Amino acid sequence: MTDIRDGNGLAAAEKLYTQYGSRARELKASGKKVIGYLSALGPVEIMTAAGVLPIRLKGNVSEAISKGDAYMETIVCPFVRNVFDLAVKGKYDFLDGMVLPHQCDSIDRTNETWSYTLGLPYWHFLNVPHVTDDPSIAFMKEILRIFIRTLEKFTGKAITDQAIADAVTAHNNNRKLMRELYDLRKSNPPLISGSEMMKVLVAAMSIPVEESSALIEAVTKEVKERKPAAANPKAKRIMLIGDQIDDVAVIEAIESTGAYLVMDDLSTGSKMYWQDVDATADPVQGIAERYLRKLKIPTTFVGSADTYQGILEERFGHMKKYVNEFKVDGAILFIYKYCDPYGFEVPAIKSYVEAAGAPVLYLEDEYSTSSLARVKTRIEAFLEMIA
Amino acid sequence: MAEEKKGRAVATSTAAKIPKFVRGNLSATLKAKEEGKKVAAAFIADGQDEIMRAMDIVPAWGESFSGVCAAKRDAEKYLQKAESDNFSRSLCTYATCNIGFDMMREELGGATPEGAPWGGMGRPDMMLGNGQLLCDPRFKWPQATQHYQQDVPVFVTNMYYPPWDPNADHHEQEAIYVKYATEELRETVKFCEKITGKKMDWDRLAATVELSDKTWDLFIDTYELRKHIPTPMDTGDAMNTMVPLTFNLGTQEAYDFYVDLNAELKQKIADGVGVANPEKYRIIWAAGLPSWFALGDFQYFNGKGVVFPVEVTYRGCEKIERLDLPKTNDPLEHIAWRWVRYWTHWYDAAKKRPGSTPKVERIIEYIEDYKCDGAVFHSAFSCRSWHAGIMQQAATLKKVYKDIPILIMEGDIVDISSYNEADTHNRIDAFIETLAAYKKRQG
Amino acid sequence: MDYFAGVDIGSTMTKVVIVSDRIEVSLIGPTGPEHRKLANRVMEEALDKARLTFEDLTYIVATGYGRINVPFADRQITEITCHAKGLHSLLPSVKTVVDIGGQDSKGIKIVNGKVMNFVMNDKCAAGTGRFLEIIADSLGVPLEKIGEISLTAEKIAAVSSTCTVFAEQEIISRLASGEPIANLLAGIHDAVATRVSSLVKKLNVEADIAVTGGGAKNIGLVRALESKFGRALLVPPEPLITGALGAALMGKDIFAKYMAEGQKPTRSVNKLEEATFFE
Repeated sequence: MTDIRDGNGLAAAEKLYTQYGSRARELKASGKKVIGYLSALGPVEIMTAAGVLPIRLKGNVSEAISKGDAYMETIVCPFVRNVFDLAVKGKYDFLDGMVLPHQCDSIDRTNETWSYTLGLPYWHFLNVPHVTDDPSIAFMKEILRIFIRTLEKFTGKAITDQAIADAVTAHNNNRKLMRELYDLRKSNPPLISGSEMMKVLVAAMSIPVEESSALIEAVTKEVKERKPAAANPKAKRIMLIGDQIDDVAVIEAIESTGAYLVMDDLSTGSKMYWQDVDATADPVQGIAERYLRKLKIPTTFVGSADTYQGILEERFGHMKKYVNEFKVDGAILFIYKYCDPYGFEVPAIKSYVEAAGAPVLYLEDEYSTSSLARVKTRIEAFLEMIA
Repeated sequence: MAEEKKGRAVATSTAAKIPKFVRGNLSATLKAKEEGKKVAAAFIADGQDEIMRAMDIVPAWGESFSGVCAAKRDAEKYLQKAESDNFSRSLCTYATCNIGFDMMREELGGATPEGAPWGGMGRPDMMLGNGQLLCDPRFKWPQATQHYQQDVPVFVTNMYYPPWDPNADHHEQEAIYVKYATEELRETVKFCEKITGKKMDWDRLAATVELSDKTWDLFIDTYELRKHIPTPMDTGDAMNTMVPLTFNLGTQEAYDFYVDLNAELKQKIADGVGVANPEKYRIIWAAGLPSWFALGDFQYFNGKGVVFPVEVTYRGCEKIERLDLPKTNDPLEHIAWRWVRYWTHWYDAAKKRPGSTPKVERIIEYIEDYKCDGAVFHSAFSCRSWHAGIMQQAATLKKVYKDIPILIMEGDIVDISSYNEADTHNRIDAFIETLAAYKKRQG
Repeated sequence: MDYFAGVDIGSTMTKVVIVSDRIEVSLIGPTGPEHRKLANRVMEEALDKARLTFEDLTYIVATGYGRINVPFADRQITEITCHAKGLHSLLPSVKTVVDIGGQDSKGIKIVNGKVMNFVMNDKCAAGTGRFLEIIADSLGVPLEKIGEISLTAEKIAAVSSTCTVFAEQEIISRLASGEPIANLLAGIHDAVATRVSSLVKKLNVEADIAVTGGGAKNIGLVRALESKFGRALLVPPEPLITGALGAALMGKDIFAKYMAEGQKPTRSVNKLEEATFFE
């Protein structure tokens, strides 16, 4: 494990980002079980309580898909295909198992393709519902309990309510620390760049929660000690909206123009860290509520307000908050091709965020750097437009 | 959804009644207001049919409308309209075709856009979406439409069933899922009561559910007549005859349709009339929605002596007795049991065959019962729901059952620009050669 | 006198425009793979034609697909902003620009002379000049003639495939079945116009509408677009140079801003060096 000493938080994050999964490999070698998961719906508190290392899987935007297409259709989400391809190539051969939450069709319709092709010792499909009414919370608790039982069977160890409550505390603390780091992006210019932030986010999702918290604290300390630079008054403050963006490529395309990436609504970013689990008497209750009701993702249907405007506030109100709190000048909505959940939301998100005061650039792309030059032109033209 | 082109020589005459059903369903949405009925935009095979029918809610089936647009090769203008407000071309084309149409209708203040196929669809009073284990568009599409019809409330019923897991016993989870589905259906009733301003007539619902159970049974009995060699009806027709079960479940008209179809197939069997004469190869349509603008491809197959006596697609039911449903007085709970047991019906078989999956077990059951020589799968580029996982099914089928000839065709359900007739016919020809070689090897 | 140069390196053509208080010179040459060398050469030619030296230039802006490969440029600005600027200076009433290039097409919305919104298609040959080039080639008709021939068609032989490769197959087999070439050409112009107009309609299209880029020189395409938009379209006198013109004008604006703030802009190079591809 990279020693986190004073002044090398960012260096440690860089290493974990570049050698993704390296810490998981070390821990596996020393006897820890490692469970991979996809999406912000992965219930990390439960996995931590089970004593396993949860690792959020990512792909590699610079690596072309070469083996996965023999098993998985090309109409599947390009991100899911890329991760699957890496798995088939053995990049995640340290995994003892995976849990796939029911986020979207690209995940639930390929569940068998994943499980049968990889043949891992542990496999679980977590059947997260798409709606948030009371029967769904009750159901969510049931399926979380089913998940807990499978983990107990796999690890041979009981998972007590106390262990879950402790894990909830640890992960809530982790989220709080990350939000404090995000606060350092509110200044002009932000004290930490978008690229640096992405590396920290990616590093954090691949290591045990206590190591993640130590890393975030080290980075925060290091960044706070920086001398604030003079702001370029012409530089625009940008927010990036999307699902799994887990590489600096797009961020560098934005920041190389002189703009600052100051905030995000990404499933690898603020969606992971903005809402805590309530410490409920039955700890599973708080977890169900966070992942089903507090987490705002397109695959969880929200529509209970009486007016359409009210419904938009329910779904996207957090984005308006970010625009205001982080003084956002413009937003980039970066959606992968073949993504129904986000794709159907584009007109609504665009009109909502623009009404909140930030012009929106909608980009549809692959999970790949192959089209980066085209993406860059559009980003540059957008920045020229809002200058 | 019957073709507008020259009539098929061996099409069942019962299937010729389908355009009337489809038109009738569309015009019902246009007449509803003056008949004092509410219209609900709805989606098929989501367990909500009986609730709607028992409350005289007129379903506006978006999937039917886009199927009609596609069969008439007239969906492009609607797809482009949706694209003009940033709906990606890679999204479900059933949805974007309808959203484009709805956008145009809204711009006309609710009037039907000119040139709408078969008179178009009426503006709904509500939208009944569904979150299930099949298809995200079933709740994203109505949600997206609300951006253009902001006064039309959207409700999403979550209908889940236990996911397949070779290491789990799904029977242990059934009770949880049935309870959940029942409660979701109850919430759906509450929503419909609010919009219609009427209370559910529970006796009427019970009677409607009983009728739909009977329709399920009659449908299977009728389709099992296709086991006969030569088969009296193939998938080309089934893509039409599925309409009453899929769009009119819970109505007497739907039941009566299958009475007629049943009689006709029995007659054909008695007369020795088959779809292809001679019938050289029997193929299962193992998965996938067809290209609605290219149903003529089935005739192409038939012309070469290839028939499809059975398909998985749009065979969304099973004989009630085989599902072994627990008795209940609550019609909603009955629907929930029927839902969970139907969707998990092939799990036990899959557990008995290592490496298999329930979808593959279903295909194997039909291959054996209908004496099939090969399988065709259709992969449509805009439908992840039905088409992701087809490669895995085909590979598993070969691995755990037999190395039978398999063809995976590619295209789309609505977007004709992805279709290439010459290429498709080439693939079919090559597949038929594979079948010939396979049959020769069998001896 | 201050002189400003704009260099537009497109995928098929490189354009240079030098302005003072009027357009001094404009030059168009084919783009090859060696952008830098070519940019140097075209710049030298343009300076020759204008009877200027490199040192006479006050500010240089590069734009287009190859803009990062112009080492002597003082600023790089996207072709979206430059096309809008250039077009607005020529046709100030225009609010919507339709640009059809060799390998991409775009729509730009202009309000008060500034870019308000834009859309681009640069992923797919259908809807670009390339599509027409490929079909012209398969039909054996010179590219510069396909537009006028398409206007002689009795009817539009509609092409159903939007994929260039499939469309080509479709057209060849229709030709073999006896479909007149003019009708087929009308069909492909219609197909490109459909694709481009549906892209541009993502913007809130307002008149006046102008067409630029190589596609604007194709009379058949312009007419087909007019039928899609339901109105006459404006075409600038030299549609290929609007990007380079806009780039030069942007340079003029940037320089004026610096002067207003009492600063001198930094120049990237003082001399036009011979650049090699592998620098």
